Amino acid sequence: MLECTYYQHTSHASLTINMPRFSPFLSTCFLFATAAMASAEEIDFARDIRQILSDNCYHCHGPDEGAREAELRLDTKEGLFRNLDGTTVVAPGNVDASELIRRVVSNDSDERMPPADSNRSLTPKQIGLLTRWVENGAVWKGHWSFQPPVQPKVPKGKNAIDYFVGRRLEQAGLEPSAEASKERLLRRVTFDLTGLPPTIEELDAFLSDDSQEAFEKVVDRLLKSHHYGERMAWDWLDAARYADTNGFQGDRERTMWPWRDWVVAAFNNNMPFDQFTVWQLAGDLLPEATVEQRLATGFNRNHMINGEGGRIAEENRIEYVFDQMETMGTVWMGLTFQCSRCHDHKFDPLTRREYYQLFAFFNQTPVTGSGGDPQTAPNLAFGSPQQEAERDRLQRETDDARMLVEQTEKALLNDVNHNQPSDKEVKQIRDILANPLLKRNNEQFATLEKFGDKYAAEYAKQVRAFRAKRKQRDDQYRSLPRVMVMEDMAKPRKTFMLTKGAYNQPTQEVTSDTPAIFRPLPTDAPKNRLALARWLVDPAHPLAARVTVNRHWQMFFGTGLVKTTEDFGSQGERPSHPHLLDWLASKFVQSGWDVKLLHKMIVMTATYRQTAKASPASIAADAENRLLSRGSRFRLSSWMIRDHALSTSGLLVGTLGGPPVNPYQPPDVWSEATFGKKKYTQGKGEDLYRRSLYSFWRRIVGPTMFFDEAKRQTCSVRPGRTNTPLHALTTMNDITYVEAARALAQRVIMSFEEDTKRLETAFRLATSRKPSGVETRILLTRLKQLRSQYDSDPGEARQLLSVGDSPRDENIDAIEHAAYTGICSLLLNLDEALTR
Amino acid sequence: MQIPALQTRRQFFSRSAVGIGTAAYASLLNRDATATPANQNELPLGGLPHLPHYAAKAKRVIYMFMNGAPTHTDLFDYNPLQQKMHGEPIPESYFRGKRFSTMTGNPAGKKVLAPVEPFRQYGESGAWVSDFMKHTGKVADDVCFIKSMHTEQVNHAPAVTFFLSGSEMAGRPTLGAWLSYGLGNDTDNLPSFTVMTSVSKGTTCGQIFYDYYWGSGFLPSRFQGVKFRAGGDPVLYLSSPAGVTRQVRRGILDDLAQLNELQYKEFGDPEIQTRIAQYEMAYKMQASVPELTDISDEPQHVLDMYGADVKERGTFAHHCLMARRLAERGVRFIQLMHAGWDQHGSLTTELYNQTRDTDQPSAGLLRDLKQRGMLEDTLLVWGGEFGRTPFLQGDINNRPKWGRDHHPYAFTIWMAGGGIKPGMTYGASDDLGMNAVKDRVHVHDFQATILHLLGIDHEQLTFKHQGRRHRLTDVHGNVVRGILA
Repeated sequence: MLECTYYQHTSHASLTINMPRFSPFLSTCFLFATAAMASAEEIDFARDIRQILSDNCYHCHGPDEGAREAELRLDTKEGLFRNLDGTTVVAPGNVDASELIRRVVSNDSDERMPPADSNRSLTPKQIGLLTRWVENGAVWKGHWSFQPPVQPKVPKGKNAIDYFVGRRLEQAGLEPSAEASKERLLRRVTFDLTGLPPTIEELDAFLSDDSQEAFEKVVDRLLKSHHYGERMAWDWLDAARYADTNGFQGDRERTMWPWRDWVVAAFNNNMPFDQFTVWQLAGDLLPEATVEQRLATGFNRNHMINGEGGRIAEENRIEYVFDQMETMGTVWMGLTFQCSRCHDHKFDPLTRREYYQLFAFFNQTPVTGSGGDPQTAPNLAFGSPQQEAERDRLQRETDDARMLVEQTEKALLNDVNHNQPSDKEVKQIRDILANPLLKRNNEQFATLEKFGDKYAAEYAKQVRAFRAKRKQRDDQYRSLPRVMVMEDMAKPRKTFMLTKGAYNQPTQEVTSDTPAIFRPLPTDAPKNRLALARWLVDPAHPLAARVTVNRHWQMFFGTGLVKTTEDFGSQGERPSHPHLLDWLASKFVQSGWDVKLLHKMIVMTATYRQTAKASPASIAADAENRLLSRGSRFRLSSWMIRDHALSTSGLLVGTLGGPPVNPYQPPDVWSEATFGKKKYTQGKGEDLYRRSLYSFWRRIVGPTMFFDEAKRQTCSVRPGRTNTPLHALTTMNDITYVEAARALAQRVIMSFEEDTKRLETAFRLATSRKPSGVETRILLTRLKQLRSQYDSDPGEARQLLSVGDSPRDENIDAIEHAAYTGICSLLLNLDEALTR
Repeated sequence: MQIPALQTRRQFFSRSAVGIGTAAYASLLNRDATATPANQNELPLGGLPHLPHYAAKAKRVIYMFMNGAPTHTDLFDYNPLQQKMHGEPIPESYFRGKRFSTMTGNPAGKKVLAPVEPFRQYGESGAWVSDFMKHTGKVADDVCFIKSMHTEQVNHAPAVTFFLSGSEMAGRPTLGAWLSYGLGNDTDNLPSFTVMTSVSKGTTCGQIFYDYYWGSGFLPSRFQGVKFRAGGDPVLYLSSPAGVTRQVRRGILDDLAQLNELQYKEFGDPEIQTRIAQYEMAYKMQASVPELTDISDEPQHVLDMYGADVKERGTFAHHCLMARRLAERGVRFIQLMHAGWDQHGSLTTELYNQTRDTDQPSAGLLRDLKQRGMLEDTLLVWGGEFGRTPFLQGDINNRPKWGRDHHPYAFTIWMAGGGIKPGMTYGASDDLGMNAVKDRVHVHDFQATILHLLGIDHEQLTFKHQGRRHRLTDVHGNVVRGILA
């Protein structure tokens, strides 16, 4: 467990309080002593030293045995304190005897480390830290994230999150901010929990609710909304590299969307995260696995499939397994395994052998890697309730038809005896009938039919009816969406370490196992994916809970407590609030991995509810707001911006789930990328207004209206957030936004007579708050200007109003409607409208 | 990056006359930034403060990427022995221990195929060039041919990705993104990295253009290439909707900026200032892109240099002309990708279309740049992702179906302009064009050289991601000194 510098700090504070008991002289001495002690103890190996070594030394003196120079490793305790031939790498308390220090301060360019050609160098500050660390006894600690979290204590009656954040602020000499205004708070929490803005009714209800529990009521309402699952699913789909096509040349369409709907439902039903994990990684291996448990394993099959001609099947297959294993590594362990395909990890204690041992867990499916079938078996047919009922009915009817045939066959040869079939015929039929009906081939059935036509007309009819029904059943089955799922072969596939990750360069054989740095797998169960999944969510595992709560924190604050969401290894960033992270992780596990509870805990805090207003001083002290001295303020994801526009305009169609849809997209984007092989057929009616989650995702050319979104090609857990002119062009000009502006204009024109009231309502829908006097004046002036512009050219007005498929109310004056459309487009592009 | 709060509405409009948020805009471009940004995600658009590492020979790059792998022994790599051994099995010594695509399998018994068209020598440099590439032949004295290229990949997508991003796996930043990140933008109304894609008419072997060919990988996404499209808006969503005139847009943007300024005053979030500037740049692009793509001001004699298709959007010829116009306007990296070079069975048919559509435009672009004095500081690159087998794929008796398979062990590219020695050939393959043998140039060497010409030490341009400092050239690459002017 981490030692905590804050605790030390507190203990010093208590000593200083006792100070007045000493004489002035003594107290001065004491102060000096304390200062010296403080600076001595301020050096924390985990916080101050490991990163310096990791950044500058591990590359040649780290875990990678193949790249290790001079047989020296600095990533282990043994290596750091080793004495070899009279030379000590680090001699605690003795700077002069420490080779490490001698080499980093050496003026001799042949001796100085890191070497000049390494592109790495130490700053004087770093050298100072190393020196002081050695001087002060060189206390060593293991990497923080590999030690199991221990729940830190929180004083009674304090909100834990606020307590930890508050202490950190205090340390930095910063004050927390006041609570955000009610409107802005409601906007923030509604977007964070549902990906949608609050409605006017929801705003009014919250504003007029003065009770203590007003905010909690809102949170509970949002957690119950089915839009909650849709919002939470998006980030999970990014991590799971979910898409509706294979990727690569050909980019064939797949039908993994029932898995996507399962994810939404799992969030809405608040499935405990440990169960969510086990089902997705290994639901197929659970005893008597249900359809739902098998469906969940589609997670692992969302990887790209390469159907390019000339590709070697085994090379493909190996790539798929790499992807499955590395996705697991990023999502549950926050570790970047990719480099260990070729060599021992440069920075973390993970060997190449251990990489392939993890790889072996996923190396057991019957997938061969050949072809580009987007429904490659093992798969699961997954129809709608109607399709499933149809499938049941056809199965029943097929069974009935079969039983009829079997019934007749019992006496078939007796009955036909008097019709005189030849002995040869009888023998042939008898041979066929000796096979169970379901094992007969088409040729045999044809013989039976021919025989029936000659000697037993009713029998022939029955056989034909059975075969027709069976074909109908099979055709229906083939038409169902199919989700690729996991399944292990009965006979395990051997796994070999691969030189440079090349499929055709196997070396030593390995078997499935977990890395040695962690607690081992239990010995009483097979070492398969199920054991791996359970091992990941074992409360004693140091990573899964931390990595998971960190990802959730990121959703609410824009940045994780560990900023490098994907990397909790020694090259990742250390947590800004280590105690808070550990508290959240242990609390999450104790609660039974209750995701909704975690979200509620986060949003109920004073920390979350702070205003985002930042003084120049606050920006100067904490530009990125990592210390959380103010509320988080960041641009909405582009998919939320689209859902926002649809929602405020009233165009949104809130239907849950189902096959993906094709919203507006400029023509020929697909065909240009595929030489005309793929053509985009824009949807009609409701399909244009579904939530972004349901937009068809072609992997080689993703939906064009989204920006800064994960590519859905490989696992992605950290959102990008940039600010470019191309984004502005999208939200100003894409049909979706122009049509939404027109619909929003219509909505306020139809609801109110006065301009001020109309503007106020449109402004509220776009920003969740009422405009100020200055803002209203600016908009009124613009409205007048637009009216006169469109009045002088009514043709332009009509053109603007014709954008988008939805009809407009022709009773509204075109010039008035166009002028308001301009205003609403402006409002939907306000920084505030794009932000939460 | 802060601008003083606005005092009055009048003051505000006095700025809006030349475009709202000019001050924020200038600071956004931040060409003279000297501070090291604390956060790599918030780098100025002006590039890294310590770059260039040394004086650049080239200010910009036009990379004509010949997607599908042009057949080097039919175009530039002249081997009389290939002619002599036509139809004979390729000797084992040329391919022992080498891996080929599944279509070739083991090359034992495959027949040497002579070049389809004759070669002749051009200019003072005496470069051998095939009749397929007569226009390129005529500019040979301005070109440096590198005949000893080799790569590690034998399939198209990984090989293209390797050339453009230094890794065969998708998802790393590409050359143009690295340059935009390192050197920033030289224009304030066009993106610094632009891409155009085309394919020869009537080809049957076009390869898909994946958008990660111009991706920014783990660099911030504003460094990714902006694709100029052949149909509709040249840049997605560029045009205002019907019924929104430029005047209407201006008015809306003025108020948008004003309202956003109020928001900035209240919240102090610097992102708001950036957003104001980006909307302004979007507005500028709405004018600058149509001006860029309007070629009515090009005189006929210039158009003629690029060939017959130059006026047709979506053709390689048109893109070459567009590249010159982009270069003139300060765009840093222009990536023209042309597919259809995958002649598995069409050397005697589609290769003629392929060269017809590309030879004159690429030579024309070189000549046009030269006559404007722009070749001096523009680096021009022509080449594919690998070469093609000097031996036959198909039946020697079925000439109409002659083809060549993928070949990573030797191929030719050419470079010209900014910092490149003109009129030379660098490196060589063996006498059958099978293996690069003299002065071998690896893909990473080629990448290191491009960065060098732009004033960048390829070992020093790094970005920390997933705990590791990444480079375009990974841990490899040597500048090819022999081709530097």
